[in-house]
Parts: sequence; structure tokens; C-alpha cells
Amino acid sequence: MRSCTSKAAPIAIGVRLALIAVAACAAAAHASTAEFPAPLPAETIPKVESLPAKYPTGWSFLNYSGDRIELRNVGSDSREVKGQLQAHDSATLLVPDKRPEIYVADTVWSRGSRGVRTDFITIYDTKTLNPLGEIVLPGGKRALITSMEGLIAFTDEQRMALVFNFTPASSVTVVDLVKRQVLGEVEIPGCSLVYPSGTRGFSTLCSSGTMLTVRLDANGAVAGRSESAAFNPMDTDPLFTASTLVGGIRYFPSLHGRIQPIDMRGDAVKILPDWPLVPAADAAGHWRPSGWQIVAGDEQKQLYVLMQADAHEGTHKDAANEVWVFNTATKARIKRLRLARPGSSIALTHAAEPLMLVQAGERLDVYETGGNLVRSLDLPGFHTRMQIEPVR
Amino acid sequence: MAQFDHLAEKVLRGFASRTSRRSVFSVLGGFLAGAAVLPLLPVARGGESQPNAGSDANSGQTAPQGGTNPQDPGDPTKCDYWRYCAIDGSLCSCYGGSVNSCPPGTEMSPITWIGTCRNPADHRNYIISYNDCCGGVAWGRCACQNNQGDRPVVRPQNNNEVTWCFGTKSQSYTCSTAIILGVAIDQK
Repeated sequence: MRSCTSKAAPIAIGVRLALIAVAACAAAAHASTAEFPAPLPAETIPKVESLPAKYPTGWSFLNYSGDRIELRNVGSDSREVKGQLQAHDSATLLVPDKRPEIYVADTVWSRGSRGVRTDFITIYDTKTLNPLGEIVLPGGKRALITSMEGLIAFTDEQRMALVFNFTPASSVTVVDLVKRQVLGEVEIPGCSLVYPSGTRGFSTLCSSGTMLTVRLDANGAVAGRSESAAFNPMDTDPLFTASTLVGGIRYFPSLHGRIQPIDMRGDAVKILPDWPLVPAADAAGHWRPSGWQIVAGDEQKQLYVLMQADAHEGTHKDAANEVWVFNTATKARIKRLRLARPGSSIALTHAAEPLMLVQAGERLDVYETGGNLVRSLDLPGFHTRMQIEPVR
Repeated sequence: MAQFDHLAEKVLRGFASRTSRRSVFSVLGGFLAGAAVLPLLPVARGGESQPNAGSDANSGQTAPQGGTNPQDPGDPTKCDYWRYCAIDGSLCSCYGGSVNSCPPGTEMSPITWIGTCRNPADHRNYIISYNDCCGGVAWGRCACQNNQGDRPVVRPQNNNEVTWCFGTKSQSYTCSTAIILGVAIDQK
């Protein structure tokens, strides 16, 4: 709408026309004043929004491939962005429930894409999203891999963070988040990613098909190591690195459609028997898990797995057509949910009535767990992978 | 292939635990340079190459660069060019580089991962080295996601999600090339 301004009119239309325009504006202003007799109140400057100490469970963090992290209201039709956190390169997120803080591990260079490299964890205040401090990670080793599960994790009741490094030698940097200092580094040659296990330690997937478990002492030093027998058939049907933790058991889908449970609760992990996701009756459909963040779990110990029909070599990161829901106790498929749009990442909110969040191209589709699409959010500028981390 | 993978892992795990970073680079560089003459890891996958159903359409902002060599058909600015069967990243052809060269102002990583793609013209399987270009400007133009032969990062040498900028001044990703290392030797 063109506004009634006095400075633009004379240049464009001359004095006579300007007078006519001013008169018209005055008449319009009179009518508007009658309709709105009170002016808008003066507003406070400066003003900055803050967030509640405890976020609603209808909110979720959305990590745009480590380039941008957004806190979004996915549980309401208002769909608004609640805040954003800085992210530059393969940034990863940790959100504790024991402290009012948020942690983002990131990498920058002093001159944009060149100069001195710095890897660091920023500690943010939950209510203000202001940085409270940072922990510089030494050595320029942090793995620069598209943001995904296993690049960072808590252990020791959220006191420590574990940061996966890849140079291409593999190691893990152990960080004390309370004292805000680096404790040390653990070499894990031939192994990748970190999955918390036991009370203080982690497990990692090794290229020989085993799982290496490392126990830490209170100072973050290695207190013990154990390696499982080979169970991950890397040549024929390797496990995805995406998993979900349900009741202390971590469930990893495989590329060809098995699910591999691993009990992570003890100081020595237990590799449990695997089972097939695809019933024999559906074998002809060539269904396989696919996508990026491909599995989610709920409080009822049910698994929600993104599944793709007519899958074949090279389609394991393509968007999935359906979500299959499994009862982990009976190992039976209990629901098949057709997606409105093919989806690549899936998560469940932690509300009493969970919502199923599915990133589908440049949309985040929000479903009831029965499969009913309730809303869809835009993801402007998004074109790669998304890690969805609902608020707990 | 499996036996070779196991051997490669054993060697690399040993080196990783006993050797400095810099010498690991040189060993890996030599290991990959040897790819042209050895029947390497992804060789058996070449025959499975299929049209990519999941790739993003690229931006279309770059003029087509159709080659003049009928034995190397296709447009290197498009995700469906045959050498890109396992590429995940932005195409250097759209940033001032080409299918086998980096844009000015960047540096090519000597360490990378390799895939195998079938040339639709001569029906040979070629070993393709997806060297990343590093330290320049990246913003997502001509982003492609093809995953023929890609495997989870547990075997990083078979994974395309890693930023393969190692041994370069900057590890900041710019774009990816797809360089022919040689003809793959089919396993019977």
C-alpha cells in the first residue's frame, strides 16, 4: 500500500498534483482516525525476547545439516520460530535436562573459510540463548561430517560430553561440561562415532564389524576397554549409524532391513539377537529402511522406522514412503503409516500425546502417531539433511 | 572385495594407532594413488549403477557444459552425469572448476574416497575419485545427493558424508570433483 508522504509527491507529480494528493491523504486520515481514535502506544526500545526456563514439549530443535539450528514450535498451528543458535560447519547439539544450558559444538576459521581453525563448544543459557561460555577443543580434530547422531554425546549423567574426531584418524575428545574444560582424548583406531554406554563411558562402531566399549574414570581417562565379537556385517548388510534408545536398548536398522538391538546399560554392552523388519508377506515389495534420521522410539518401547518401497543399491538415503511401527517386545509390526510426502528424518515429541515429526524436502510434516497429518511447517532454504531433536 | 576391505582396515587401524597424522596422510595418499592399478573396494558395485531417484535437482543457474567427447557423455553441471553416481555435495563444475579440477582460490584435498560408476557410452566401470575442493566459497549451488556404493561412516573410505578436506590448509568444504582414476577390473 502506498503511504501518504509529503516528500515524494512533489518530485513525481508537481505542485498542483501534490496539493490534490495531500488533500486526499487528509481525508483518508480523518476517516481512519474516526475508526481508530486512540493511536498505537509507543513501544519500548530495546526489547529482546526470552524463553521459558522449561521449554514446552511441543517444541523441537531443528539442525539444518549443521549450518543452522532453530528452535521451532511444532506443536501448535502458530508454527513460530522461537529462537536460533549459531552454527557454521557440521555443528552438533546437546540439550541437557540437568542444567539450564544448551551446548553446540562447532568449527570456524578466522577468515571465513580460511585462516586459523577453531573447534569449540558454546554453552548457551536456556532462557536467553546468550552464550555463557565456551570450551575450545584442541587440535582441529572435530569430525566435519554432516550433522548426525554419534558425533557428540553425553555420558556420566550429562557431566561429560564426548566429541567424535576424524582426521582421518579416529578419536574422542572427553569434555567436562560442569568445569568447562577438556579432560583428554581417547584413540579409537578403525572405529567411528560415539554412543553412551554404562554409567561413564561410550561405545563405538568399528569397521571390522565389532563394537568397542571404553570405560572412563572420573577424570575422563580410560579405565578399561572391551570389544565385542563381530556382529555388524559390513560387506553384506551393514547397520545404519542412526539408532534410537528405548529402555536402555539401542536399536540400529540395517541397510537391508534388519533391526539390531544392543543393551547399552552395563559396563559391557550386550549384542542382542537381531530380527527382520520386513514380514515375509511383504518381501516382494523390496522394502528397506531409508533416509537420514531413520528411526525413532517412544515411551511404549515402540519403534517408528522410515521405510521405502522398491529399494535397491544406492537408495538408502532417499526419502521413505511409509513409517512402520514395531512393538519391540513382540518384534511385530503393529502399524503402517503412509506419509503425505516422502520423508527423510523422523522424530517423536516427548509430549504426553507424542507427535511424529517427519522432514520431507523443504517441509516438516507433523503427524499424530496414528498417521493423521495435523500440520506442515516450511523449512526455507533447506536442501540437505536434517537432525530433529524434540524438546524433552 | 571383502578380503581387501578387511586387509585395508587392518593396515589402517595399525597405522592410525602407531603413526603420526602427517605420515598417515602420506600413506593414505599412496594407498589411493594405487587405486588406478588395483582392483579396489567398490569395483563390484559398478554394474549396479542406476538412475538416481533421490538426488536433488540442481539449481539450473549454471550454463550446461556438454562435453564434445562422445565417450564421456552428459553435462557435468547436472547431478545425473554418469561420474556422479556416488557424489554427495556441490559440483565444482558450477563454481568455476570442472569435473576434474577445483575452482580458482581453492585447494584440492589429496585424500578422499572413491566410488565406481558405469560409463553409459563405453559400458566400462570406472573408478572415480571424489576429491573435495577446500577453503573457498560454498553456498549449495548444484547440490547433488547420489549414493551408489556409499556405506555408513563406520567405513569412512566408503562414505560420502565426510568432508574430505584433509592435508589442505583449510578444511572448509567448497565443492566436489569426480576424477577418473582408471578402469575398474570386474570381479567374476
